Amino acid sequence: MCGIGASDLSAADPFQARLQLCSTCHGEKGNSKMENTPSLAGQPELFLTNQLILMRERVRSSEVMAPFVKGLKDDEIIALAAHYAKLEPEPSDEPVDQALATRGAQLAQQMYCGSCHLPTYEGREQMPRLARQRLDYLIQTLLAYREGTRSGIDTSMNGVMYGVSDQDIRALAHFLASMR
Amino acid sequence: MRSAGFSAGKLAAGIGLTALLAATCAFDLQAQQPPPAWKQGQPESMKDSKLAPHASPLTVTPPDKIAHSKLKVPSGFKVELWAHGMPGARMMTRGDKGTIFAGTRAIGKVYAITDKGAERTHKVIAEGLKQPNGLAFKGGNLFVITIDKALRFDGIEDKLDAPQPTDISEQIKLPESTHHNWKFAAIGPDNKLYMSIGSPCNVCEINNGVHGLIRRQNLDGSNIEIVARGVRNSVGFDWHPQTKELWFTDNGRDWAGNAGPEEEFNRVAKDAIGAHYGFPYCHANGIADKDIKKPNPCVGVTLPAATLGPHAAALGLRFYTGSMFPASYKNTAFIARRGSWNRDQKFGYDVVQAKINGAKATITPFMTGFLDTASNSFWGRPVDVLQLPDGSLLVSDEHNGAIYRVSYGSGRVAGK
Repeated sequence: MCGIGASDLSAADPFQARLQLCSTCHGEKGNSKMENTPSLAGQPELFLTNQLILMRERVRSSEVMAPFVKGLKDDEIIALAAHYAKLEPEPSDEPVDQALATRGAQLAQQMYCGSCHLPTYEGREQMPRLARQRLDYLIQTLLAYREGTRSGIDTSMNGVMYGVSDQDIRALAHFLASMR
Repeated sequence: MRSAGFSAGKLAAGIGLTALLAATCAFDLQAQQPPPAWKQGQPESMKDSKLAPHASPLTVTPPDKIAHSKLKVPSGFKVELWAHGMPGARMMTRGDKGTIFAGTRAIGKVYAITDKGAERTHKVIAEGLKQPNGLAFKGGNLFVITIDKALRFDGIEDKLDAPQPTDISEQIKLPESTHHNWKFAAIGPDNKLYMSIGSPCNVCEINNGVHGLIRRQNLDGSNIEIVARGVRNSVGFDWHPQTKELWFTDNGRDWAGNAGPEEEFNRVAKDAIGAHYGFPYCHANGIADKDIKKPNPCVGVTLPAATLGPHAAALGLRFYTGSMFPASYKNTAFIARRGSWNRDQKFGYDVVQAKINGAKATITPFMTGFLDTASNSFWGRPVDVLQLPDGSLLVSDEHNGAIYRVSYGSGRVAGK
């Protein structure tokens, strides 16, 4: 967990101070080195905006993020989203299993993942980039969708993940994390 | 059967990546994964289609970014920006003391708007809800129907600063599914609570006693009756001011091509409570479904009074009973069409007028200008309409979190 509190926010340059806070967990340039913590670099701006708002409104529950999003204004959220959307996404150093990734590529095609997230898995609009996301975070998130503990702005992903096995989730994650 | 591996909770509690990789990976790839509900029925020929639902912003749109001057209404009418700053504002209902309540979907809030003459102010009276789209008002109390809850706010207009909801979910009894389960709700001339329960899919076989219907019940939740069956997903209904019959909009299925099947404008005749409107076998003016088949699919089906265009998303519907608009508008219906996503050339994004002639209706445009057909782009999405006591008409725009007011002739312009 992050060893830093929301109250550490300095007033000197609030936006830079806030970025500093974000980078503690999400990486200096938005590429996370922290377990189970997503990379934000190169995510679509609308996706980032929506997720921060859903967390602020407690429609998406995240205990870790709650103190950071509480009371954030829309324009502060939009500025953060715009910042991270422009950064270059880099793969994490988690080891990828090639056999799993190959299996995941077949699955992703069968499940039409690319029709929303694009065949490059770069995402668009409200639909996130999956390529080069952290492997452990992809697994955690796909599980959360399957278990219904997380939804997006609608419930599409809960429908997609219904009944997908743990093994298939691992395969999908290895494929997506290794997409370049 | 799903293998009993790890759960999201356990993972979050810190099972390491190495452990995951070490786990035995016996693939049990199912032949057919269920696609998301909105993609069901997508044919092989459209599998590379990039059509996807459009997301409405969850952020505040400042008034100077709202292009309401582009809106077009018939000669003699005018449009003003009446309220703004309420992301996702959708279905509207009016309290006895004049408060306008607006529900939402993704952002989970219910807004209460107060008209201060020169301006409107709004408060959030509920938040963190799962798609609080269904709002109804009766006897001083506001009913809020979400995907998984029914709440009643007693005496709400005197308690806007400290709303105290009573959870009446147990009495109201909502089905468990999620998709198409955001409700439209209203209280009928029979003093019963009406709500729609959509089909949990784009197109599929449904249990006619549970999904794809409009139902009614007493305000205490008792005596649930089905009013209309075979309804894919209705997000708007109202009662004809003279006949007191229920009229409703219904959205047609997706992934059956650019031409439709068209959305429907339906009537529930007084002597035909519980009639079947065709879903999933028979659409629009009698089009058999291409995927869900049965012999004689349209036999016994009540066909629409009018069709409302392909993928137009005809939602909020209200009859006009006021005196501000010309007499020809009296007892006609206004219908908000939120606009298409499952169509190459966008369609809808307007408010139309429906003139009733017995069991049939004719549709004409009323408010346009949200859509630019040349660039195939839109700036707003009208979702609901609501008449004010002075006879003017409110139109909610979910995309901009705004409400417009349409007035006629010398009708007072609010705030001027």
